Amino acid sequence: MDLSNISETLIAGKADELRKMVEEGVKENINPADILNQGLLPGMDAVGKKWKAGDMFMPEVLRSAKAMSISMDFLRPLLKDDDVGNAGTMIIGTVAGDLHDIGKDLAAMMFEGAGYNVINIGIDQSNENFVDAVKEHKCNLLGMSALLTTTMPRMGEVINSLKEAGIRDQVTVIIGGAPVTEEFAREIGADLYAPNAGSAVDITREYLQNKN
Amino acid sequence: MKMNQTINKSTKFRVLSDDQIEQIFYAALEVLERTGGMIYHEEALELFRDSHAVVKGNHVRVPPYMIEEALNFYPRKITLRGRNNVRSLHIQKDTVTFGTGSDLPFTHDRKTGERRRTTYQDVTNAAKLVDALSHYDFFMSHGIVGDAPNPQTYDRHQFMAMLEGCTKPMVLTSVDGEGLEDLWKMGCLVQGGEEEFRLNPLFVAYIEPISPLKNDKTAVEKLLFAAKKKLPAMYTPCPSSGATAPATIAGMLVQSLAETLMAVVLCHLKSPGTPLIMGGVTTLLDMKYSTYSYGAPELSLASAANTDISKWLNLLMFSTGGCTDSKILDEQAAAEQMMNLFYSYLSGANLIHDVGYMDHGTNASLESLVMNEEMMGMVKAFGKGINTDDDHLALELIEKIGPAGEYVTSGHTFDHWKEWFMPKLQDRSDYETWKQNGSKTMLDRVKERTQHLLDTYEPEPLDEKLKKELKEIASAADARHS
Ligand code: B12
Repeated sequence: MDLSNISETLIAGKADELRKMVEEGVKENINPADILNQGLLPGMDAVGKKWKAGDMFMPEVLRSAKAMSISMDFLRPLLKDDDVGNAGTMIIGTVAGDLHDIGKDLAAMMFEGAGYNVINIGIDQSNENFVDAVKEHKCNLLGMSALLTTTMPRMGEVINSLKEAGIRDQVTVIIGGAPVTEEFAREIGADLYAPNAGSAVDITREYLQNKN
Repeated sequence: MKMNQTINKSTKFRVLSDDQIEQIFYAALEVLERTGGMIYHEEALELFRDSHAVVKGNHVRVPPYMIEEALNFYPRKITLRGRNNVRSLHIQKDTVTFGTGSDLPFTHDRKTGERRRTTYQDVTNAAKLVDALSHYDFFMSHGIVGDAPNPQTYDRHQFMAMLEGCTKPMVLTSVDGEGLEDLWKMGCLVQGGEEEFRLNPLFVAYIEPISPLKNDKTAVEKLLFAAKKKLPAMYTPCPSSGATAPATIAGMLVQSLAETLMAVVLCHLKSPGTPLIMGGVTTLLDMKYSTYSYGAPELSLASAANTDISKWLNLLMFSTGGCTDSKILDEQAAAEQMMNLFYSYLSGANLIHDVGYMDHGTNASLESLVMNEEMMGMVKAFGKGINTDDDHLALELIEKIGPAGEYVTSGHTFDHWKEWFMPKLQDRSDYETWKQNGSKTMLDRVKERTQHLLDTYEPEPLDEKLKKELKEIASAADARHS
């Protein structure tokens, strides 16, 4: 199987077709990590580039991300933890008292598109819920969203709770939302800030590469 | 005697035909009967359970006859009175009023030119400008008091900041039901008691559902409080076409009407006759930058259509105009603000808010408020339409002046030129004069006027005793939440 066909199908956002191709690839004994690294990820990379160049738009990008996510649901259990390209698990949610969800959902979809196993815990999530979810799912990435000046401080509180629980080092923390700034992220000790869902994946990837 | 005359006292503008409105209305009824909505509030669920609605858990579906019945009970006129004792805001069909938007987290700092967080002082300054500028009829906070002692009680402090600077009627956002109750108590103090407030409400409560078709606990508790006290309120969906609503304008209008009608029924079940106002910031999600657009032409089109629907339903309308996605006050800001001001005005929406909003609803700018004053004046001059009575047809005058005469010195001109729009910021000078005056741009003039108003305008001060009493409510709230 020519893995570049997988990339093409992913770029076209054909979810069902893509999943079939991935399943076939596995049946043909192609290494799942190769399917990911030589088929799916290059496809998503191309999508990201096209988007930045203004050749693709949100509905198209998110269709590809959705297709990626559906195929990853199948592929993920077959990957080894230390396979290159295996992004890991992300918890994402909107903090307590805040009901804005669409921005966080878009960010979640972008991370799914990047191969993360994203667990979207929803809006108005208490600090405890965030900490519990991080523990339960042993995630390596935590995303928090706040759209209100009044709820932004919750993000700092969650980070403190993670420290108290001794699991702060387990996760990279990325935050976003309209009133959030780079400066605020620094103040509360988040690792990363993304001004929009599109840049979030790149910012995270770059950070993790430099860290390792 | 002339028979069967139609005189247009104003310009006319309509997007939807009656038949189209009916299509949208029937579709919205279908949505509420088939798809229904989610309600996260126990008392509201109880009210629906005791009615003919079908309630399963938090899911509520409503048969059309309940909606048709409820629609008969909404007031067609609400009059607000500012703290200056003037009943200045008549919310009634085809009467247009303008006001700011609320809660902008950032402010364009006039000194540094940088973006920073909004403060109490910024809100008071915006209040002063709105008080000083005659085309603003009502005030929303413009910015948020980011330096309030506790985010959980910011709304009370924000109201204080607003009252200090502005005597006009207001539209207020609140944290939750408890916050709204405090604001209402403060309002009653200002108006001289609960009964006076009922006859002369000082403000409308701003409340929103969560598109698509969700009603959270705090929104519903505010709604029920408003219904209980007969406090004027608006339930204003903020769908983004393509993200939280269909990507077609018609589909977005159907959904947001269904969201409105859910509140119409709920308030009716709680207390018939609630002064509820229809609303909607109906716009799209930009598909390149994934932002909620305040400058898209589709916002203007959908908003005007929504106003058409409101009139057909005999509901009052809270609409949107004078706002932009631009980060600074530039050419883009002027184009977008003018466009959505213009069409919201022509549509005849009753309360047009968000005037002055920058950066898709995140950035405040005092200068934007001042520039919009000029644009509102221009728009209103257009809306006046053309008077065609004998005096205005000027047949006698044309005969008197005759061919090759002049009109400048005629009494008719002396009387009538004052009907024209008088620019304060627009420059219509000749090139040399403009150069002599310093070759100023619109923005230069806007900046000067803003500074001048802030330096010279003094709003009628708030009575010291009243101020103390108001502050006590805010402090008590702080103590409860500390
Ligand atoms: C739509 C909207 C709503 C809708 C939300 C519906 C929904 N389904 O989400 C409703 C009507 C419910 C709503 C309610 C309120 N809102 Co509101 N809302 C907005 C609005 C207009 C657009 C938000 C939006 O959808 N943007 C589009 C999305 C795609 O963008 P985004 O959320 O910013 O997300 C992007 C990035 O920020 C980033 N991102 C976001 N989260 C995350 C997380 C991670 C991990 C990452 C990496 C990235 C990331 O990626 C996204 C995509 O690029 C904003 C104004 C604005 N421009 O932000 C006001 C705004 C956020 N709301 C505001 C207010 C005041 C309120 C209310 C308090 C009003 C009231 N008093 O009733 C309530 C609060 C309810 C509550 N408790 O949460 C204020 C906040 C002001 C402040 N200083 O805090 C704003 C700024 C508008 C304003 N000036 O008044 N709102």
